[in-house]
Amino acid sequence: MPAETQPLFAAEGITKRFGGLVAVSDVSFEISRGEILGLIGPNGAGKSTIFNLISGFYRVTRGRTVFQGQDVSSLPIWKLARIGLARTFQHDSLLKGMTVRDNILVATTQFIRNPAEREKRMSETIDIMGLGEVLDEKASNLPHGHQRILSIAIAFSGRPALLCLDEPLTGFNQTEVLGGLDIIRRLREEFATTVLIVEHNMRAVMSLCDRILVLHHGKLLGSGSPEEVQNDPAIIEAYLGKSE
Amino acid sequence: MSTFIQLLINTLQIGAIYVLFSLGLTLVFGVMRLINFAHGEFFALTAILIAMQMGWLLPDAPFWLQYVVSFATALGVLMALSVVIYQFGLSRFLGDLSSGFIFSLGLVLMMRGLIGQIFGNYPMTAPPLVEGAIYVLGGAISTQKLLVAVLALIATGGLLYLVFRTKLGMALRAIAEDQEAAMLQGIRYKRLALYGFLIGSSLAAIAGGLIAPLQVVLPTMGGELIMKAFMIVIIGGLGSIPGAIVASFLIAALESFGSYFIDLPVVTIGVFVMVAVLLVIRPQGLLGHVVR
Amino acid sequence: MLFDKLNLLFLATVAASVAYCLAVPGAFFVQVILWATLAATLGAGIRFVMLVGELNIGTSAFYGIGGYTAAYLTTAYGLPFGVALVAAGIAGGLVAAVFGYATMRTSGAYFMLISFAFAEIFRMLVVESDFLGGNNGIIGLFVSVEYEPYFAATVVAILATLISALAVIENSSLGKSFIAIREREEIARSVGINVLAIRVLCLVISSVVIAVAGACSGFITHLVTPNDYTFMIAVFALAYVKLGGEEHPTGPILGAILLTLAAQYLISFGAYQQVFFGTVIAVAMILLPQGITGRLRDLVRLTAKRTARDAG
Repeated sequence: MPAETQPLFAAEGITKRFGGLVAVSDVSFEISRGEILGLIGPNGAGKSTIFNLISGFYRVTRGRTVFQGQDVSSLPIWKLARIGLARTFQHDSLLKGMTVRDNILVATTQFIRNPAEREKRMSETIDIMGLGEVLDEKASNLPHGHQRILSIAIAFSGRPALLCLDEPLTGFNQTEVLGGLDIIRRLREEFATTVLIVEHNMRAVMSLCDRILVLHHGKLLGSGSPEEVQNDPAIIEAYLGKSE
Repeated sequence: MSTFIQLLINTLQIGAIYVLFSLGLTLVFGVMRLINFAHGEFFALTAILIAMQMGWLLPDAPFWLQYVVSFATALGVLMALSVVIYQFGLSRFLGDLSSGFIFSLGLVLMMRGLIGQIFGNYPMTAPPLVEGAIYVLGGAISTQKLLVAVLALIATGGLLYLVFRTKLGMALRAIAEDQEAAMLQGIRYKRLALYGFLIGSSLAAIAGGLIAPLQVVLPTMGGELIMKAFMIVIIGGLGSIPGAIVASFLIAALESFGSYFIDLPVVTIGVFVMVAVLLVIRPQGLLGHVVR
Repeated sequence: MLFDKLNLLFLATVAASVAYCLAVPGAFFVQVILWATLAATLGAGIRFVMLVGELNIGTSAFYGIGGYTAAYLTTAYGLPFGVALVAAGIAGGLVAAVFGYATMRTSGAYFMLISFAFAEIFRMLVVESDFLGGNNGIIGLFVSVEYEPYFAATVVAILATLISALAVIENSSLGKSFIAIREREEIARSVGINVLAIRVLCLVISSVVIAVAGACSGFITHLVTPNDYTFMIAVFALAYVKLGGEEHPTGPILGAILLTLAAQYLISFGAYQQVFFGTVIAVAMILLPQGITGRLRDLVRLTAKRTARDAG
């Protein structure tokens, strides 16, 4: 398959078992280049598990994950990051004791060895994320909004082809949500970054994503555009209907 | 055959002492999330106190009575010392692994220096409790070794009963399971941690008391034992009681059979290499869970 | 700003020590300077591995590997001082790479335990090795006679340079990666850091420096024995770090100087020296958890706040 038509990422029948518990069961999907894909589902549906399987933090029990045509099911996390698959964390997503600048420096250093070029890359990251004012603050002293943005900045520092965001907008107020969405859209427009996002803020997900996957009890319940998903009776019953 | 029996009994006796000692270490780790380096000093000090008192405390009483009385006083001294060390020192480092370890290293220096100054750095011996040997399948077994092994196994049984069958044991296991939740309990946790520490320390003291009549008592004997106990808890997994028991007998068997055919230091070095290779394959120990 | 002053103070101390060693090479105090320099290097070395979050009790073994490598090469092959130092550094680094590859997969308690075991195993290996002199060790590490007057100054200069190199690395992006691993390993992995390799690298760098210091220690005392390289070396190194403070590279240096000076007065107390060091560690852990430099920084901050408040 030529590189342009090949999906950026593919999950092929992935299953994850923890002891006797099946957290994810035979899930298959693809992520196209340049897409913003949402992953939604009620608590315990297996979103986090899938997220960890994609980013290499868990190993699939069955099936495989393919990134840019390569089977990456057993690749260590740091190698995945180096070939362009990055993620954020829901909790403890920062190097709390270090300054904002050092957080971004550490995140950039494995990708660019040359100090001058690294400096350039870092200021680009800082600009997009709007962190210029707080560079010398300790990460733990930042207000919550800046902390979430910094965690995106860390993951984006290596200019990944696929950026996986784990509830990036949690705890944001309405203005902050709009700012966060704006940043994510810019990452796609200016850097052609493909984004996978897990998020509880439905309105944000619906306005941001091109396509949405719905998980239920560890299985794929359906997928489609935000409109399709919002109008699918099975999905509404399983998930959306109850949350309204 | 008789050699085999002797080596087997040897394994049993050494292993039983290792079990007591390393169970204490691993129990303290489970409850307090710190490694008490002075554990070896508790062991040595008890043995020294017993060796010193025997023949002096009740000079005319039979040896076994002298032994029982000096064992009891030594244990009392050690418990009092443990309470002081806990209240003024270790209780400040609960859950703080590296600070607790460094603090206990300081304790080791203090205790070694003081033990050397007070009791002298020369070997002492306690008189044997029972003389003679028992013959099993053609092999002569020192009655005394057998007695010590049996006493150590009884003590281990007592500990297992305490940990798995009593309310206190259940509370201690709950702490070891979920340290963070336990620490939220504040004062109650601190008191339970003290009990855990006292039980752990008394295991070191009992091991020291049991070894006293068997071998030459030296102030440095705690340091030698603690290294072996470290290997044991790495193999068995920190905080794991079954792990400590299995690994203790494993090391004891390697030592007693190994030192018969090759040199003991070679065996110890071999065990270290084995443990290092084990860590490449299973960084959390043979039977352990991941502990940070 | 306090830490900038401490850096300057460090450089001034080094310069003064080198000058003194050159001016009065035979003086008793030169020995004290040499001991303090070795102590400072040990403190800086053990602190360096603390950057990735580990307590390396095996520091004493790497110190010994340096000492024994230098002793063996100089007595068996007559290699000069400089070559012996380089060889010691290489030996320390190689052993650290192998030891680290196996043990740096673990962390926290397990690493402490296995590194302590390594310290003891090293001592046992030396005692069992006849070519290393067993319990008696190796005697006869000397520098050439014409070089003797410059020896002390050279040792101070070399070790001070290595300590500074450690501080420079700490401030580089590599050093920040060390700290990132200590702070939260998962994030370090997720940004492409090969955590095991970087942790091993940290241990190797520290061990090279420690081994060179060990080689110097052999030339200072002219002999090496197993008893010179027990795990107590690591305990002392931790005492320097804890008393001086671990946050800044000058902390262990300050601790090393203070404790070396104190030990000079305590030699007359004989075995109570051990008790003294133990007490210093225990009391410092309780009363000065951040060490002297940490306490000073807090005081400076407090004063600055007060002045600001009074002015405003």
